[in-house]
Amino acid sequence: MSLVLNIADSIVADLNAATLSLPVTAHRLYVPNFQLEDMNELRVSVVPRELQISSLDRARNQHDVDIDVAIQKKFKTGDAAEIDPLVSLAEEIADFFRLQRLASFSAAIWSRTEHRVLYSQEHWDQMNQFTSLLTLTFRIAR
Amino acid sequence: MTDILHKGQAWLSEKLTRHASRLVTYRRGELETTLTATIGKTVAEQDTGDGLILKAEIRDYLIDTKDLVLGGEPTLPKRGDYIIETESGVSHTYEVLPIGNQRAWRYSDPFRIKLRIHTKRIGE
Repeated sequence: MSLVLNIADSIVADLNAATLSLPVTAHRLYVPNFQLEDMNELRVSVVPRELQISSLDRARNQHDVDIDVAIQKKFKTGDAAEIDPLVSLAEEIADFFRLQRLASFSAAIWSRTEHRVLYSQEHWDQMNQFTSLLTLTFRIAR
Repeated sequence: MTDILHKGQAWLSEKLTRHASRLVTYRRGELETTLTATIGKTVAEQDTGDGLILKAEIRDYLIDTKDLVLGGEPTLPKRGDYIIETESGVSHTYEVLPIGNQRAWRYSDPFRIKLRIHTKRIGE
């Protein structure tokens, strides 16, 4: 199986097995493509983004695999009671992987997390929609 | 002095309401009213920001300004209000939301007789 897909699937498995402040069912997708009417429930999408291969030593390469994790939910009022738990969940997901190996693919070691979009102002303004986007980077030597 | 344009617009508005409208429910929180609305343009919108595609059906409703009364008070549309349209026993819910750089509603004519309200479909 592809390294990238293996890591993405392992992130999905680890997220779905985790105990987080909100119940999460993550799915791996190639292109997250939703209708607004589908966003009334929390959606966590795991999307492969990028693979960088560089030299590590004489025998091995370092593979840095970037995986996006999107946290999305349509809100009603956008007040703190509704949004704070979603912001917290995004941070919680970032923390969950920090300094860890993937439980279902232990060769992959966490390397970096970038919270690329804390919340999308465009989705907020146009759709009353919370969208947060994390990019997790996992490193593997082979 | 008689304003012929205003009279003409009022006549047209009345015809539109009488002959090209359907009953919808307008809801804001706990308050709601039933009124007649003409369905305006219906188009699809797509947002592809950050690689995440979000699509919505946009629908405009034209309603008489004087008909929008909630809790006994005349009012104007607000972002986040809902319009519920029932067709063949199925309810379709639309949320009042802006489109692009336009706000969520505007007057449809110079005399403020009708409102054009922008909505996006959020479910049944």
